[in-house]
Amino acid sequence: MLTVALQQGINGIVVGSLYVLVALGLTLIYGVLVQINFAHADVVTIGAFAAYFFTFVFGGNYLVSIGIALMVGAALGWLVNAAIFAPLRERGSELLPLIATIGVSILLQNAMLLWFGPIPYAFDSPYSNKVMRLWGGTFITWQNLIIILVSTLTIALLYAFMKFTFMGKALRAVAQDRETAGLMGINPNQLIMLTFVIASALAGMGGAMLGPILVLTPFAGTSVIVKAFAIVIIGGFGNVEGTIIAGLAVGLIESFTTQLVNPGLTDLVVFTLLLLMLAFRPTGLIAEKREENV
Amino acid sequence: MSSEGHPALAVPPDRAWINRRGWFFVVAVIIAVLPLVFQDSYWRTNLIVCALNVMLAIGLDFILGYAGQLNLGHSAFYGIGAYASTLLIMKLGVPFWMAFVSAMALSSAAGMALSIFAVRLRGHYLAIASLGFAVIVHQVLLNWISLTQGPLGIYAIKPPPDIALPGVPVISFAGTGNMFYLVAGFALLFYLLLDQLVRSPIGEALTAIREDEVSAASFGINCTAWKVFAFGVGSALAGAAGAFYASFVGTLVPDAFIITESFTILAMVIVGGMGTLIGPVWGAILLTILPELLRGFGDLRLVLYGAALTLVVLFMPGGIVQAVQMLRARLGRLPIATHAGTRQ
Repeated sequence: MLTVALQQGINGIVVGSLYVLVALGLTLIYGVLVQINFAHADVVTIGAFAAYFFTFVFGGNYLVSIGIALMVGAALGWLVNAAIFAPLRERGSELLPLIATIGVSILLQNAMLLWFGPIPYAFDSPYSNKVMRLWGGTFITWQNLIIILVSTLTIALLYAFMKFTFMGKALRAVAQDRETAGLMGINPNQLIMLTFVIASALAGMGGAMLGPILVLTPFAGTSVIVKAFAIVIIGGFGNVEGTIIAGLAVGLIESFTTQLVNPGLTDLVVFTLLLLMLAFRPTGLIAEKREENV
Repeated sequence: MSSEGHPALAVPPDRAWINRRGWFFVVAVIIAVLPLVFQDSYWRTNLIVCALNVMLAIGLDFILGYAGQLNLGHSAFYGIGAYASTLLIMKLGVPFWMAFVSAMALSSAAGMALSIFAVRLRGHYLAIASLGFAVIVHQVLLNWISLTQGPLGIYAIKPPPDIALPGVPVISFAGTGNMFYLVAGFALLFYLLLDQLVRSPIGEALTAIREDEVSAASFGINCTAWKVFAFGVGSALAGAAGAFYASFVGTLVPDAFIITESFTILAMVIVGGMGTLIGPVWGAILLTILPELLRGFGDLRLVLYGAALTLVVLFMPGGIVQAVQMLRARLGRLPIATHAGTRQ
C-alpha cells in the first residue's frame, strides 16, 4: 500500500512539474499584461510535435529535441505577441485579446489537423524503458527522471532570473506598474515581448516532455491548457510560487484520483476544486499583497 | 469595452416600429419559402442547424454582447438542455413539450447558478469559471453512465410529437421540412422577445453594466441581479436549442457538447457583431453555411473559422454589422452610428 502511494506520488510530481511549466507561462503573461493567451495550448502541442519530428523523423536525440521545442515555442510566443497582443494593446479591452487568441487556437489546431491528421502519434521516448529502482520497491523511469530534473532546473533558473537579474527585476516592475516602470527608463513593450518569449519557450519544452504522456493529436494541448488555467487560478493569477504549489498539487490529485477512484474522474475533481476555489478564495492559495489600482 | 465595437442599426425613430414589423414579416416569409426551395435533406438539415445556431448565438450574445459577461460555457447549457429533455422523455415518459419547457428551465437555472456563484468574478475569472463549468458538465455526461450511457450515447430519440389540429392535415415533425419550420419559428420568436428586451429599460441597464459596472451601480442598478438575469435568459435559449437538437438528430453523445462548441458559438457572435441582435444571426448563418460550401476543401473550412474569428477581432470588432454600416456609409445612404442607439 505504501509502495503504491509512493509510486503514485512520484507519478503525480512528474505530471505536476510539467503542468507547472505550462502554467508558469500563463501566469507570467497574466502578471505583466493582465491578459490570457489561449493559444498557449497550441504552443504546447507544436512543441510536442517539434520534438516528435526531430527525434523520430530526423533521427535526432530526444534530449536535444527538448531544446528544439523550447526554441520553436519561443518563436511562436514572439509571433503571437507581435500579431495579436501588441496591435490590440491600445484598445485597452479586457476580453478582445482572449477572444482573438481563441481564434488563433482554432486556426492552429485545424491547420495541424490538415498536416498531421487526426490519428494519435506514438511518441515513445527512448528513455521510457530504462528504469531506476528506488527505495521500497518503487521505481522511476529515466524519462520521468529527465522530466523532474529538467523542469526543476528550468524553474530554478527562471526564479533566479526574476529575482536577481536586472531584466528580471524590470519585468517585475512592469508587472507592478507599467507606466511608472516606463518612466524609470524601462521599455515595457520590450519586456512584454520578453515575457511572451520566455512563457512560450516554457510551454514548448513542456510540450516536448508531455508528448510521451499525452495522446499526441493536434488537440492535445487543449486538455493541458484547461488544467493550466485551473492551476493558475488555484495558485493565484500572476503568482509564481502559488502556481508551482498548485501545479504539483494538481498533478498529485490527478495521480491519486486515478489510483483510488476512477481515471475518468480526474478532470471532474480538478475543476470542482477550481470552482470551489473561485467561490471561496478567488485570490488563490497565496493571496497577493498588492494594492488594487482601480 | 469601447462603444465603437457595438454599433446599433441606425433607423429613424418615427418609422422604426413599422420597419421592424415589416422586416419580421419578410423574415417569416423567407422561413416559409426556404424548405420549398431546398428540397433535398442535406440542405434542409443545414437549414435546421442554421436555425439552432441562431438560437444559440443570440442567447450567448445577450450574455456577452449586452451584459458584457464573457461566458465560455455556452456548450454546457446546450448540453444540459439536450440531455434533460431527452432523459425526461425517455426515462420518465414526460410529454415532449413539457420536457422542452423543463429543459429550458433547467438550463436557465444552471446559468443562473453559475452566475450567482461567479458574481464576484469579472472578466477573465468569469471566463475561466465558465470554461471550468463546461468541462465539469461534459465530464459528468461522460462518466454518469447509468444515467447518460456515457460515451456510448443515447439512440433512437423521437422527433417532437405530431400536432393534430381540426380541419388541417396532421403536422408531423418526422420530416425535415416541418422540423425546420418548428426550429426556425422558435428562433424567430426568441429573436422577437430578445429584441423587445434589449430595447426596454432592461436592455439599457444591461448595457450600462457592460460599459461601466461601478457607474451603473451608482445609478441604482442592481448589477448582480441583472447579470444573473442575463445568464438565465441566454442559457434558457441554449436549453431550448439543446432540446430541439436532440429531437432532430435522434442521437446524443457527450462529445457534441465539448468546450470547442462554446468557441464555435462565440465565433458566430463575434463575426456577426456582438452587442447587436441581428449580427449574431448573420454570424450563425454565415459560419454554418460557408463551411458547407467549402466542404470540398476538407478540413480547411475549420481553419477558416479560426481565421475569421481572429481577423474580425483585429480589424473589425463590430463584425458583419460594422462592415455593412461602413459600406452603407460609403454609398452615402446612412451615417455611421458611433454610439449604440444614437446617430451622428
